[in-house]
Order: sequence, then structure tokens, then C-alpha cells
Amino acid sequence: MASRYDRAITVFSPDGHLFQVEYAQEAVKKGSTAVGIRGTNIVVLGVEKKSVAKLQDERTVRKICALDDHVCMAFAVLTIFIGLTADARVVINRARVECQSHKLTVEDPVTVEYITRFIATLKQKYTQSNGRRPFGISALIVGFDDDGIPRLYQTDPSGTYHAWKANAIGRSAKTVREFLEKNYTEDAIASDNEAIKLAIKALLEVVQSGGKNIELAIIRRNQPLKMFSAKEVELYVTEIEREKEEAEKKKSKKSV
Amino acid sequence: MAATFFGEVVKAPCRAGTEDEEEEEEGRRETPEDREVRQQLARKREVRLLRRQTKTSLEVSLLEKYPCSKFIIAIGNNAVAFLSSFVMNSGVWEEAGCAKLWNEWCRTADTTHLSSTEAFCGFYHLKSNPSVFGSCPRKNMQITILTCRHVTDYKTLESTGSLPSPFLKALKTQNFKDPACCPLLEQPNIVHDLPAAVLSYCQVWKIPAILYLCYTDVMKLDLITVEAFKPILSTRSLKGLVKNIPQSTEILKKLMTTNEIQSNIYT
Repeated sequence: MASRYDRAITVFSPDGHLFQVEYAQEAVKKGSTAVGIRGTNIVVLGVEKKSVAKLQDERTVRKICALDDHVCMAFAVLTIFIGLTADARVVINRARVECQSHKLTVEDPVTVEYITRFIATLKQKYTQSNGRRPFGISALIVGFDDDGIPRLYQTDPSGTYHAWKANAIGRSAKTVREFLEKNYTEDAIASDNEAIKLAIKALLEVVQSGGKNIELAIIRRNQPLKMFSAKEVELYVTEIEREKEEAEKKKSKKSV
Repeated sequence: MAATFFGEVVKAPCRAGTEDEEEEEEGRRETPEDREVRQQLARKREVRLLRRQTKTSLEVSLLEKYPCSKFIIAIGNNAVAFLSSFVMNSGVWEEAGCAKLWNEWCRTADTTHLSSTEAFCGFYHLKSNPSVFGSCPRKNMQITILTCRHVTDYKTLESTGSLPSPFLKALKTQNFKDPACCPLLEQPNIVHDLPAAVLSYCQVWKIPAILYLCYTDVMKLDLITVEAFKPILSTRSLKGLVKNIPQSTEILKKLMTTNEIQSNIYT
């Protein structure tokens, strides 16, 4: 049945599916895994870095991008798009222009919810035009608003967006989300370091080669955004492994 | 077939029925040249079984030469990775032979100089425990087949987004009496290609066989998909063949890094 109603975006199937949108969600699963966590005073974005080809300039392969950078007030909106790289570039450009346009028009920086709604509306438009296909990307958008409250939003190719406490997108997102559901507790996000460790632990569930393939960025309240270098991520990974060993030793002592 | 403005694909009825029939009749008349070309093509496409290292062909059927009690087949890169890192890592496996074949899909035109890396199927037997390939051919033989399929092929009432992929399903022949380590494949799902052919053959010849099918959403080599095969290690078919699991995981990680394909299309 699917093959007769999935060639055009503007055709519903008899049982109400928009197959092109569902297929676009499959395209997202081909990208790397990304995780976003909203702590009490911090937001964390982590993504699996695929290994770069030898001759490729590594500096140009950044996945976490800033949509808006409020230098004077030290607010920022960070995002990561997972799915088709070219689609991500196009949407990021549009979102960045919208951020500046908003600032010039109303003299206020965008709220995280506003820019998420803009991106989601853009994606939805492409599910309703003839001759265009949906964007094959999902996004995690994080930042702090004027009121100092941390936010994390997720959008998907259909144009829906929701606020989350912690979420994952991309390859094996379900595994990571289940890990987060079990481990996102008040203790786990009590301190900034704990939130960062939770993000790294969640990624390590699915990242195949450990800390050197993780890209991480954080924003603390009233501080500019910080991108972690590979060494800093490694430090956290070593600490996590040490804690794991200690926990296992305690377990074996108890059982003995 | 024709496409309409709104994108549905509609079959256009052909009103030139009689014309088609005449064309078919003309095509059937074959010249000796055509026959020669066809025979050459058939010779090229023959499947050749070669003994290891000597590259001489195995005239005797492989199973009679190395009679075995457990035959494990892995189809697809994730299943092969599981077998090579978990099972073949423990004990010494010796290459018994390989199967080479050529058809129009291959990129090389030369059939005589295919190197061993281009073999389509390698046969290995356990050197230290020949009884795994035991002495009663076909009587006590048990076949295990491992393969992968994309989760979107799995037909179910739930949406594919809510399925706990990757997950394992089993399908066994009537003569296979042991319990499977995972739920059986439900209707209306079907098995395709080589695994289906092997299973049908086993059902017809009353050989106990079981197929483990892993539904995953990552078809390329992936750690999580390969680890989804782990429950099989506790079944009777593979018990005793696997000793060192942590070492196997290390080998698997190495396999992943060497085989990683860099693609810039998906971020």
C-alpha cells in the first residue's frame, strides 16, 4: 500500500500517513547520535563525531553551531542538526538571519522558544508544498532566556517541536533515550559537572570509540558558551571510567 | 507505468496488445551466435568451490569432505562481524575453502584472476575440535543462520519509531527441537534471499535449522547491532564455542574502526 502513496509529499495515504515525512525521519537515523541535557544551571549538547577523512580539514567539520551569540549579555542559543548535512546548513543559515532580523526589529534577542518555533514552522511549510521534499533533519536547540531559565527543545522533519529535560536524536537514539530515562535524576543534574558527565555517559552507550569521538558544548547561566576540546572530554571520560571501576569494586565486595 | 501530477504511480493499460506478441515471436528465433554467447556466459557464471591455499577445485561436495555436526552461516556484514569476533576468536579456525562466483553485477570482467579477498563465501572449520564438524554427516547436523534486515521491513501494528531496535527474531524448521533464545518471527513477516533458501532446503530435507534475524535501523557495520546477536551465545548451538567475551568486544571495536566508511552526506 505504501508504494502508491509515498512518491509525493502532498499525498495522504488512506490510513492517514504522510510517508515522505516518515521516510525523512529514517534519514535522520542515518546521522550520528546527539544528546541534549537541561541541568539546573547549565545546558549540555554532545554529539558523536565521525572520523574525518585524512585530507579533510577537521576545523570545518563542526556539528554544534551557535545560532545567536549575545556577546554583551553572554547569552547564546546553541543547536545541533542531525540528518542530511546540506539541509542542516540551509536551515541554520535561515535561522541565523532570523535571529539578527528579530534583534534589529524588536531590539531584543530571540528566545529559545521563538527560534525553535521559527525552524519548526519552516520545516512544516516544506511538508505542504508541491515539488519540495521535507528537510531530512532533526534539531536539538538549547539556550538560556532573559529570565535565566535553561531550555532544551527538539524538532523533527514533520515540523513538530517540544520542550525536553533531556533527549537524544540520530542513530540509536532510542537506546540513549532509555538510558537517560533511567539516569536523569535530581542527583544527576544537581551540579554542572554531574550534568556534563551524564551527557558523556549517555553518548558512550552508543559511541564506538570512546572519548576522542565526542564533541561537547555547554552554556552556563550568565556565561558565554564553551566548546570542549578533545583533551577536556578525555578528562571527563577518564573520571567516568574511574567511577565505574570503583562502583564495580564496591559491588563485588558487597557480594563477597 | 505512468506518474500523475499528484505523484501517484498508476499503471497505464496497453492497448497495443497484438503488436507486443509479434515482437516476442521474432525474438525467439536464435542464431548459433546467440547460443555461443549464451553458453560462454553460463560458463563464466558457474559457482566454483576452491580448496584453501592450493586453489584447486573441490570436486567432492564440501560437506562430505568435512562432515560436520554444527554448521553456522552468517549473511550480511553485521552477522559476519559477530561471528568473526565472538565465535571465531575463541579457538583456532582454519579456512577450509571458499566459493567464488561471477555474474554481470561484478565489477571485474576477468574471472580467472579473482583474488582470495574477492571470494563471496569463506568456509572455516574448528581445528582444535574436529568433532564440531563431526563424523555423522547430515544425521546430527544442526544449522544456525544469522542475518540482518532493516527494521522498516518489519510489519507490525506499532510504528517503527517505537520498536526497541535492534531486536532479534527466530524462525526454525520442524526438526529443530531446542528452544530459541528470542521470540519467533510473527506473521505476516517473511524471510528473503539466501537465508530463506537455506531454511527452505533444511525444511524439505528435514535438517534441524534455526534462523536468527536481527532487525536493525543501521544496516552498515554497527556495534549495537552486532551486540544484539549476543543472546545466541547462550544457546546449545553456540555454547562451548565462545570463551572470551571481553576480548571479543575489543576485536569488534577494532573491526569497526578499520571498516568505518566516511560519508559527508549525513551529519
